[in-house]
Amino acid sequence: MNSTAPYRLEATGIFKSYGAVSALIDVHIALRPGEVMALLGENGAGKSTIVKIISGLVSPDDGTIQIDGEDVLLNSVNASQAAGIAVVQQEFSTVGTLTVAENLVLGQRGAPWWWGPRKLNSSAKAILARVGLADLDPSTLIEKLSVAEMQLVEIARVLAKDAKIVIFDEPTAALSDAEIERVLKVVKRLAAEGRSIIYVTHRLGEVFEIADQVVIFRNGRSQPSMDVAELDVDKVVTMMIGRELGDLYPQRSEALGEVVLETRGLKVAGMRGEVNLKLHRGEILGLTGQLGSGTTEIMKAIAGTEDVLAGTVELDGAPLDLHGRRRGILSGVAYCSPDRKKDGIFRGATIRQNLSSPWLRRVSRLGVVIRKQENNEAVRSASHFAIDQTRMNALVGNLSGGNQQKVAVGKWLGIRPRVLLVEEPTRGVDVGARAEIYAQLRRLCDSGVGVIVSSSDTNEVLGLSDTIATFYRGNQTAHKPAGEWTEPELVREVMHRGEVAK
Amino acid sequence: MTTVQGSAIGFQERAGIRRTLNAIRNYSLPILIALVYIVASILVPQFLTFETIRAILLATSVTGIIAAGMTAITLSGNLFSLGVTASVVLSGVIYIWVGSASGNIYIGAIAAIFAALVVGFAQGFIVGLGLNPVVVTLAAGAIIYGATAIVTGGKVVAAQSRELGRFATFAIVGIPLPVFVLVAFTAVAWFLTERTKIGRNVHLLGFNKLTARNSGISFMGTTIWAFLIFSVGLGVAAVLQVSQTLQVQADNFPELTMNVVAAVLVGGTAVTGGDGSPVKSVIGALFIATITQIMVLVGVPQGTRYFVLGVVVVVLVVTLHLLRKAGSR
Repeated sequence: MNSTAPYRLEATGIFKSYGAVSALIDVHIALRPGEVMALLGENGAGKSTIVKIISGLVSPDDGTIQIDGEDVLLNSVNASQAAGIAVVQQEFSTVGTLTVAENLVLGQRGAPWWWGPRKLNSSAKAILARVGLADLDPSTLIEKLSVAEMQLVEIARVLAKDAKIVIFDEPTAALSDAEIERVLKVVKRLAAEGRSIIYVTHRLGEVFEIADQVVIFRNGRSQPSMDVAELDVDKVVTMMIGRELGDLYPQRSEALGEVVLETRGLKVAGMRGEVNLKLHRGEILGLTGQLGSGTTEIMKAIAGTEDVLAGTVELDGAPLDLHGRRRGILSGVAYCSPDRKKDGIFRGATIRQNLSSPWLRRVSRLGVVIRKQENNEAVRSASHFAIDQTRMNALVGNLSGGNQQKVAVGKWLGIRPRVLLVEEPTRGVDVGARAEIYAQLRRLCDSGVGVIVSSSDTNEVLGLSDTIATFYRGNQTAHKPAGEWTEPELVREVMHRGEVAK
Repeated sequence: MTTVQGSAIGFQERAGIRRTLNAIRNYSLPILIALVYIVASILVPQFLTFETIRAILLATSVTGIIAAGMTAITLSGNLFSLGVTASVVLSGVIYIWVGSASGNIYIGAIAAIFAALVVGFAQGFIVGLGLNPVVVTLAAGAIIYGATAIVTGGKVVAAQSRELGRFATFAIVGIPLPVFVLVAFTAVAWFLTERTKIGRNVHLLGFNKLTARNSGISFMGTTIWAFLIFSVGLGVAAVLQVSQTLQVQADNFPELTMNVVAAVLVGGTAVTGGDGSPVKSVIGALFIATITQIMVLVGVPQGTRYFVLGVVVVVLVVTLHLLRKAGSR
């Protein structure tokens, strides 16, 4: 690359905070024409915030952004587009029930309204050829395409806008190897045309394949940009983690009990390989992998809400019924979803009503809820999870994220669980509540419950678990005691798994 | 132990405002009704008479009982049953037929309620499969209407003896039986939705369908229960209605469905489900019956009555919605 050319995009001294939380602190990035810059960092490190700022979705608290040496104000998506910036979203913004050609002209001015399908199709054809979809019929409905083709159409939409700066936000998260190759080829071509690329990813392999420079984010700060030639995987991983495991996490179990749950040759819809896991009493088993690795599917399968294709799950030696949540709850299997707002709590109901929701039957007689008994049990669960017992009638929707999460987990105490499944136990939870939740999970474990935690946060998995199983693209890849993992190893295991030769 | 406090300052204040707004929402309708009664008794000469109050209560009884039952459906997040009119006609016809044939009004009433339960169960089952409740109940209403019209040949089905009207004419200290039935059914519906496991599940399902599923609450089962509670009320109300008119025809009571829905909405039960109570819906029905009766007394023509009532309902529902939004923030 021409390293003396003037910067196409330069963002300096960017600050952004949400309430008391600093999302970005003095961030600096600079990008020349024809360059590919990879943004790396753990969840919550600030990558997506800077992308949102550049694409005009979020306004920074402070800092300047220059394009081709001139200050620009990117206070809306329109302003950002007018400045020549386009974003390829991680989630598809195409409309499934429209054709490829119709999607390409959606939301842009190029095509007058009187153009008929034929005219649209011929103009779409030219754009599609540039993303390697020359053979695709532009009159195909989007919903008929493969995920990779959708992603490429998404990119084609951006090309149709003729942007100077193109941002890719984890474009390959849901793609297979061969499909990723197609996307990467297109990215390289775009750079060769002189466009500047910002490429956000979790996969290290891709970085070494396409990036010119790497910027690593850590706790809201950007590290100085590095030439990709000076880096290797180990260096990147060390820079991303940049800290030791603190005393956020409780002590591990000294000795494990007998096996409480075992999966044998379990095949779950949406996964490729078999899953063979063993969980002991008093053990926290951590499952980790990236989006699309299959950890969510496994948890749901054991909870009874995902289709099981083959294999069995045994609870205390007896086969576990995997049809529906009700039977799982009766057998003592608790399940906390990764997205509490969506399907973990009742925001409009009180703390007491939330806590008692899975075990109302136990505090009812002849179908009538015994209110005193319900309240006593709920207060007991609340006190276990450090939930304020004087606010049992407060609506859960009015609590902080950490307290909502305590309710989402705490409601399962009342079923007297034998196995507790928790997905993303601390997503959107502040540090104080995190430590409390970890401590509670460990205490439950010590009382003889088997706990399975799935998390995309490798640090959390490593700090909390006794045993760790890793997953990559629908396959179980490793299963060994936490003591035998180091964090760089674990990060590398879930991130690239042999994609990088060096 | 660490306690749970919102971000220190401001939390108490906000909670205070929220409480005030919720209080306004909870008591606005009773206060409004009281005001209407005071104003009307001053301005409308014949208003504060035994006959008027009796007429209002009688009109409230039918809509109120159905609205109390309907609340269970709304609370469960399944919106409304829009087939009320047709189902009431069906149960009414069955009451007259079975009651006349057996010569026993109790057997007639049980048959009418049973018919409502069968029809309601079928609708609850189909909605429980995941179909849109509005579409299902509208279609069911059309089918029931059609079937009743065919079987009765579209003619008036009239009671052969005045005996069939006893449920409406029987009175205790001048207050007709339907009013006591209204009170009793409201109490039962309240108990079922607020104090039982099924009722709690109805609320929780309405609050969040997905969380309910993850908590082991059956969508199908809970939805069917909600429709059954509704159907009992509907059957009872049909018997009381036909006891008053002593005859029924397939195209009777066209305004009933809308009045019931309006009663639930004005009462303040959330359209999205979860939040609300049968008692509120009955108060809503009382409000609607009162406004209607006042307009009848003053001599407002029917078209204008519908118009005014419609405007009042919309204004109240929008106000309640805004209060709820502000109160839950």
